Amino acid sequence: MSIHKHDYRAYTGRVTPVWTRIFVLGRYSLAEAWSSKFTTVLFVVCLIPPIGALFTIYLANNPAARLLMGNVGPRVLAIDGAFFLNVLTIQSWLAMALASWIAPRLITLDLVDNALPILLSHPISRFGYVLGKCVALFATLSIVTWVPCLLLFAYQGYASPVPWAAANLRIAVGMFAGSLVWIGLISLLGLALSSWVKWRVVATGIIFAAILVPAGVGAIVSEVLRTKWGLLLNLPLVAFSLWQRLLGLHDHVDELKKLPVGAILAVLALACCLFVVMLNKRIRAREVVRG
Amino acid sequence: MNSMGTIELDALEVRLGGRAILNGLSGSLRGQAIGLLGPNGAGKSTLINTLLGFHRATSGTARVFGLDTYRDRAQIRGGIGYMPENDSFIGNMSGVRFVRYMAELAGLPSAEALERAHEALFYVGLGEVRYRKVNTYSLGMKQLIKLAQALAHGPRLLILDEPTNGLDPIARQRMIQLIQQIRKEGSVRLLISSHLLRDIDETCDEVLILKSGRIAALCNIEEERRSNRSFMELETVGATESFSVSIRGLGCEVACFPGGRIKLVLPEHVEARDLYLIASEQKVQIRRMHVRRDSLEDIFLRAMDYGPMDNGVMVTEGGRPAHVHP
Repeated sequence: MSIHKHDYRAYTGRVTPVWTRIFVLGRYSLAEAWSSKFTTVLFVVCLIPPIGALFTIYLANNPAARLLMGNVGPRVLAIDGAFFLNVLTIQSWLAMALASWIAPRLITLDLVDNALPILLSHPISRFGYVLGKCVALFATLSIVTWVPCLLLFAYQGYASPVPWAAANLRIAVGMFAGSLVWIGLISLLGLALSSWVKWRVVATGIIFAAILVPAGVGAIVSEVLRTKWGLLLNLPLVAFSLWQRLLGLHDHVDELKKLPVGAILAVLALACCLFVVMLNKRIRAREVVRG
Repeated sequence: MNSMGTIELDALEVRLGGRAILNGLSGSLRGQAIGLLGPNGAGKSTLINTLLGFHRATSGTARVFGLDTYRDRAQIRGGIGYMPENDSFIGNMSGVRFVRYMAELAGLPSAEALERAHEALFYVGLGEVRYRKVNTYSLGMKQLIKLAQALAHGPRLLILDEPTNGLDPIARQRMIQLIQQIRKEGSVRLLISSHLLRDIDETCDEVLILKSGRIAALCNIEEERRSNRSFMELETVGATESFSVSIRGLGCEVACFPGGRIKLVLPEHVEARDLYLIASEQKVQIRRMHVRRDSLEDIFLRAMDYGPMDNGVMVTEGGRPAHVHP
């Protein structure tokens, strides 16, 4: 082909490796996600708590600043596992909001315009397609979860007058692992539900509802039956329980609400399996007509 | 490439939802441009989906350029350009961005993909609107952008599913011309599915006709045309018998019927003018002359009337085979 000659010519140039096509999908998905101004606004909001936490760490490690504040005790401005757990929890909820906004943009546009037959006619599998979308979500959600958390950890390690980072390395590892679990869970949740809903705004609402409604039902079940097992329907609580353990804070957990690690992992695995099944049903180049 | 068919089918059976959609398809498609014909529900789209690796063969095999369509689907898809029947695009993207995206997915590096996207859009005639969002395109433009994305990465096989669907006569003609140009260029094999015989007739040199999931006919249109003799029907008044003897002397196959009707097959060197000369000499009036050649429509209708091939041979009325090669 040539713009001036208007005739067809075959392509004889270099071809990229097949595995890199996932990142092509991820790159275009990322661009699509960030093409909305609301995404930028949401992202800026997501960075406010880490800035607050940064300031807190600064105050905690600066005697002059603490003096100015009336010499508050070390317990008020304690920078420990609980502090980072709070930061992680806040960031995870914000990541949830961001994912519920972005995930529908990544999937519903393809489904509404019936782009899957064309997309999947290229050398990319259905798994690769979902993975590409997950790459876009992972990149975006990482910037608001484990990246700021680890930067805060690094700053605390730098600002602390005593050797702190090496002694609390578990917090960093726990935040990183906990964030990965949460990102994986909400990415799959967001993509799975978005693939079943045609309208983006409705999909956003349904993603939130899928988190909050079972949590409410679980709380009712727990209260009525006086059991802790209803809490397993509360995915944020389940994830929070996991983070407590990962950050080494399990001693602080209320015994009545203490969920076994096995149950936590089983619920998370079950939820992920459900989301994968939902995606498997919808991410197809062609519908199979039965009967 | 000619020693091996572009598409090889060996007892291919595809069942969907417990129903056999493709049933024992066997054959080798070798043409530069292969037409895929059949009534609705014949299995055309299922065959295309199987060739793209979307469906797995229940039994038998389908091969594209010698590669198994399911096992080697990633490799096959790299060399295929697919234009689906229905609307299929990302409406929120500009035309050039969409085609570039598809070219990158097909394996072109980013810069080359952009260059080829521009070229492909100019080639199909969408150069002036390439920065407009795809969802603002007209139906004809949407068909063309599907063609552009299928061409951008320079495929070895171009699969076009109903390429003239919903196009007005001018847009249809433009699409047919594009397909003819691509075919003429020679580096791309084409598989064109259509329910419009005229489209296939104008663009293809080989045709596969499906009926109820089976091959009803598989023939080379060019060979069919070349080997096809001219049939002629005459209505005469006068000495019909001596006239028929005379034209038989020219080398024509002749059959006489009551009422002065004559059916004959003209050899290549005999023209209609020769018949008029003999008729004039013998004072025979030719009241009506009807020349008939086998068209794709005849082949298609025979395939539909006389059912699937038996052992690769489609038997037709009058014992005239349709030059079928399995």
